[in-house]
Formats: sequence, structure tokens, C-alpha cells
Amino acid sequence: MSFTPPPQVPEEFRVLSMMHNIGAISPERSLSAEELAQWTGMDVATVKSYLQKLREGGYVEFLQMAGAEKYIVTRIGIMKVLTLYS
Amino acid sequence: MRIAMITWEYPPRIVGGIARHCEGLAKALSKQGHEIHIFTLDFPGAPDYEEDEGIRIYRTRSEIGHPNFLTWVLLFNHFIEKRMAGASRLVNFDVLHVHDWLTAPCSIGFKHFIKKPLVFTAHSTEHGRSGLHIPDSFTIDGLEWWSTYEANKIIVASGSMKGEVCGHFNVPDSKVDIIPNGIDASKYEGSVDKGAVRSRFGIQPHEKLILCVGRLVPQKGIEYLIHAVPIVVRRRPEAKFIVVGDGWYRDHLEWIANATGHRWRITFTGFIPDWDLVQLTKSADMLVVPSIYEPFGIVALEGMAAGVPVVATQVGGLTEFIQHDRTGVLAYPRNPESIAWGIDYVLSNQGHADWLVKNARDIVQKAYSWEAIAKRTARLYEEVIEGKR
Repeated sequence: MSFTPPPQVPEEFRVLSMMHNIGAISPERSLSAEELAQWTGMDVATVKSYLQKLREGGYVEFLQMAGAEKYIVTRIGIMKVLTLYS
Repeated sequence: MRIAMITWEYPPRIVGGIARHCEGLAKALSKQGHEIHIFTLDFPGAPDYEEDEGIRIYRTRSEIGHPNFLTWVLLFNHFIEKRMAGASRLVNFDVLHVHDWLTAPCSIGFKHFIKKPLVFTAHSTEHGRSGLHIPDSFTIDGLEWWSTYEANKIIVASGSMKGEVCGHFNVPDSKVDIIPNGIDASKYEGSVDKGAVRSRFGIQPHEKLILCVGRLVPQKGIEYLIHAVPIVVRRRPEAKFIVVGDGWYRDHLEWIANATGHRWRITFTGFIPDWDLVQLTKSADMLVVPSIYEPFGIVALEGMAAGVPVVATQVGGLTEFIQHDRTGVLAYPRNPESIAWGIDYVLSNQGHADWLVKNARDIVQKAYSWEAIAKRTARLYEEVIEGKR
């Protein structure tokens, strides 16, 4: 039996964590992929691919806010983020 | 007494054991006639203020955020402290009780503002959780030390945790009291339709359900349970495994499960509602707690209360309430062969497993009721208020 070394925190998880810490847990503080790209220093396409993966896991939710595409962290997304800190 | 309890998690914001600990303690203290005020963080769908069984809960929204974790922590501490300052105009608190380092900055500031004693419960340490490998960890370690320094009294849940706190932070032995976690055993009373519950989770009547519950993070040791699966099924082909919980380590654990060739035997449920977890636990053939670091291990106590045999690793607080081969079975940590042995040992003799369960239930009822834990905690509050400590 071989054990693999523990992985680093996945990149999409870092995006989720940042969304949470910024406060994107309610619609009025939702963030667009472009805004997240600015916060994280990633390019928009990369952020969008991570958001897609997070949506599939149920950790973020997509919203249409005043014609703009925005994202918030869901309840289980919050709980998942908090596992990093406890 | 008028008690301000400060915690970063309180239901429905549940991450690990702290939320359940605070809720159980607060409800028991309230029943004993104390006035409890909980200061915590907001959570979607939960009100900013509510009263639940006499407990006043103040959920505070951090008005500004920041992507950096430690900056975010300082920001929410600031907003919680403002909320506490507002409440203190109406309530003359007798004592403050802070749980873990995350809300320590506001609690320490508030302690000096209202000039009342501070009790700090150290649920775990950064040193024990993940080591001190990165700058953030050193900062957290420093905040934990500061909390132990400022507290009039420190509570830990186990002797191993007391050793860790006294040794790592150079805290005098007399400043730290051991008060274990409690449990609401009534939650596990009543019968469940085990067949229906098991079926809902894809477990056939002839199969053995081995349950594991916890945050999916390295210190829970779940990878060692997964590595034990091929060993278990050589003797127990009817074994099926359910892992309840979620966390940043989940993808890696699922990858390991795939690599064992037995992925189909292992179900990852993610987070499930509390009522569902109670039913699932009561319907399991066994609960396995494979932790590599565990200051207390309340999930094992929950298994004992639910009437399922518990196989746990010999670490931390688990060794203090699980007596090997009397109230459960202890296996070596980080050791799939040993964990597999423990599982097989329990499955091999149903009569003996029933005896373990009976002994475990007796212990839980005698020593770990929230009523008893709250009385001990209240005595400690009285001592710090009277300045005896």
C-alpha cells in the first residue's frame, strides 16, 4: 500500500474561501466572475471554470442581479469553507 | 448569572463540534436558571436576533469583508465587539466565555471594556490541528497563546488537551480545568425503521453498514479508514462504508477511494441534516472514528449514545472515555491494518458488540449529560467571578 502526500488546498476551494471572506453569502453582496478575477488575481476564464465546478458541487449559486451574472456561496458552501479553519 | 458566550459557530452555522458544544452548554445553563447571551456570526436564513429556549442569540454580520482569512477574522471580531458593546448597555454581564481563538480578539477587548472575568475554552490548538508550517498558523498560534494569557480560567475537554495547552503555551497547570463535552442522549431515544433508513442510503439488509462521521480534513484520519476497506472486505465482503461530512480534503479522499478498487462500497454523503444523521447513526452496525488528532471526539460519544459499537483510534480525548474492549474498541492511529482489525473484531461477535454498547451507554448517561457539564461550568464561572482563581 502506498500513501500519497497530502494535497494542497484545491484552487477552486481558494476561490470559494475568498468569496466567503469577502462576504458573498447574500444576494446583495454577490460577486461577478470579473470581480472575483480582480480579487484573486486569476484570469476570468479560470475563475469561471472554478465557479462551474463549485456550482456542480452545490457550493455556489448563480444569480441574475440587475442583468449581471453574479455568484454567492451557499449554506453548504459556507460549511465547507469553514472546515479549512477549524 | 448573566453569561456572554462568544463563538464563531452556533447552529445553524455548524462546522465541527463547537456549535453543538455551545448549544448544549447554553441550553443546559439556561435550564439551570442562568441568563445566556450568545454572540456569533450570521448565517443565511438565520435571524440577526432570536430567543431560543430562553437563550438570546445575537448573529452579527461583518459589514465589510476581505479575501484574506486573518483580515476577515479581525473584521468580524470588530463587528461582534460593537454588538456586545451595544448589548452591555442593557445587560450587566457577570462573566464572558469565549470558545476558541477565532472570537478571542473581540472577547479580550470586551473583557477589558466591562472589567469582568473571561473564561476561554480551548477546543483544539493550531499546533495540534495542522502544525505550524505557514505564517498564518504562527499568527493563529499566537492568538491562541494570547487567549490563554488573558483568560482568568481555561477549560479543556480532556486530559490530553490539558497537556497540550499547558505544554505548548507554558500555562500553569492550576489555570486549566478539564470539563468534558456533553451530549443530549435524549436525541437518540425512540426507535427508527432501520431497514428503511439503510435502504435510503443504498444498504441492503444482509450488508454491514460501517459509518464514519466528520469534517473531511486530514486530522480526521479518514484516508486510513479508506485504506482499511480492502483489508476488511477480504473477510467481510458484506461490508459497506458511509462517510458523512464534507471539507476541503474530500476530492483527495474520493481519489483514494477510487484507487482502492472498492469505490462502489464507499458512499460520501456530504453534509446531511442532523435528524438524518441521528437516524443513520442508529441504523449503522458500527461507527468508526479514525482520527489522528482529536482533542475530545464528541462524534464517538454520539455513537455511544446512539447505541452503536464504536471503533476509534487511540488518540487524544478518545482514550479517556473509550475503555478498550469495555466501552468500545481502540485501534492504532494511521494504521489501516489495525483499524480493519477493530472493525472485524466487532463484526465477529454480535453478543460482545451488544455488551460494548450497553457499557458505553451507561458511561454516557452517568458522566456526559449536559446537565452535569453545565453545573461544573457554572461552578467555574462562580469561582472566577469571586476572584478565587
